[in-house]
Amino acid sequence: MTPLSEVQWWCVADGEPWSGAWRGYPGVWLFVGLLAATLAWLHRREGGGGPAARRRADGRERRRLAASTGAVLLLWLTLDWPVGPLGTGYLASVHALQFLSLACVVPMLLLAGVGGRATDAVARRPMVNAVVFALTVAATHVPAVVDALMATQGGAMAIDLAWLASGLLFWWPVVRGSPAPRWSAPPARMLYVFAGTQPHLLIAVWLLVGEFPHYAIYELAPRALPLGALLDQQLAGAVMLVGMLPIVFGTISVLYFRWARSAAVAER
Amino acid sequence: MPISRRALTTLVGLAALLAAGCRGDGAERGAARALPIAPARPRPVFSLTATDGTEFAFHERTRGRLTLLFFGYASCPDVCPVHLANIAAALDRLPPLDRERIDVVFVTTDPERDTPERIRGWLDAFDSTFVGLRGAAADVAAIQMGLGLRPAVAEPSEDGAWYAVAHAAQVLVVTPDDSVRALYPAGVRQRTWAADLPQLLEVR
Repeated sequence: MTPLSEVQWWCVADGEPWSGAWRGYPGVWLFVGLLAATLAWLHRREGGGGPAARRRADGRERRRLAASTGAVLLLWLTLDWPVGPLGTGYLASVHALQFLSLACVVPMLLLAGVGGRATDAVARRPMVNAVVFALTVAATHVPAVVDALMATQGGAMAIDLAWLASGLLFWWPVVRGSPAPRWSAPPARMLYVFAGTQPHLLIAVWLLVGEFPHYAIYELAPRALPLGALLDQQLAGAVMLVGMLPIVFGTISVLYFRWARSAAVAER
Repeated sequence: MPISRRALTTLVGLAALLAAGCRGDGAERGAARALPIAPARPRPVFSLTATDGTEFAFHERTRGRLTLLFFGYASCPDVCPVHLANIAAALDRLPPLDRERIDVVFVTTDPERDTPERIRGWLDAFDSTFVGLRGAAADVAAIQMGLGLRPAVAEPSEDGAWYAVAHAAQVLVVTPDDSVRALYPAGVRQRTWAADLPQLLEVR
């Protein structure tokens, strides 16, 4: 039996040739399992109240349950084999997909899946959330940081969790609201989403137009696909650019149409 | 505006992330640089068979040219394809006149599996101008030892169905003055090759 100290708990760039053989990452399973258990407990707790309240809440609760289930499944797919090791140690383009998932889609689903009162403190200053998100994204794309952290399990996990945590911070005011002044006006939220995701676009362009591969981790990794390191990086930039567009403009569209609908209801 | 504890904690965390990636000596993780060979050795003299079946006299065919000499094998899962891919990418950036003055010569350390056709097909995936050479294992080992490199050793897999070849992973650089002047170990990045090749061309 493999000693605990030799178990690979989390995906890491170990420099080994890609074999395509399945590999388990118990740390990922533990993390996803804990999250799933926490969400299940939250859903059970929110299921209280009388029969009438429960009937009214059923539709909403089903949607929340779907969102939570989606979040857990997507998180697991993003972190576990094969996406996890491919993105961590072989292909920048797959890592870009992980970024979109961990920093945007999973946080939005998690936030949409949890009912009850919003934790006002987290969303009290949306601008701070946006700055933290931008700085985290920037810091975790610095080549020296990526090359250093992705080579260790702890470092790779730190990047994944930094994206998830900063993504939750950023999307919290959007999905669950904020007590901040003027936040109730939908244009403020639309502007927040647009402006807060611009740093990602800059990083995407930087990946697209780079003359050389930026990351030694990916440039010097054994090739998992017949894809050159520079082309892989350009693909990563394209993934970030094209992938962010539906997220950003989809969110802005939802905010806009809800605003338009509530305005129409108010007029009647 | 006072900084909240949450923001401060986040900033400290980010600073730790950045500090983890920043090193005072500016070294890139995994990146390697050229190792000078001093004193320089003369351009080696040997003959092996090229992929088209003709004899390739290395000294005569590459005299006066910048030559990158590499010993590896086509089944290599990591070092060889990365080395050759990075060299090919750097060569692509050179002006055509400079590119024409550089030879890349690959010598297989696995003549049993690396047939001429296999070598040619493998090299063409990187650059069709790369020269592929093949010879008896003992001859290749003697050439490597003459260059100060450790000869390749076959390492069978646990089930014996396959074998890897442990080989010297350095690229030897023979400059236009017919001197072996530098070794580039595994891990040299494209930007390093792109910066160094024009300078190496001018060594006369």
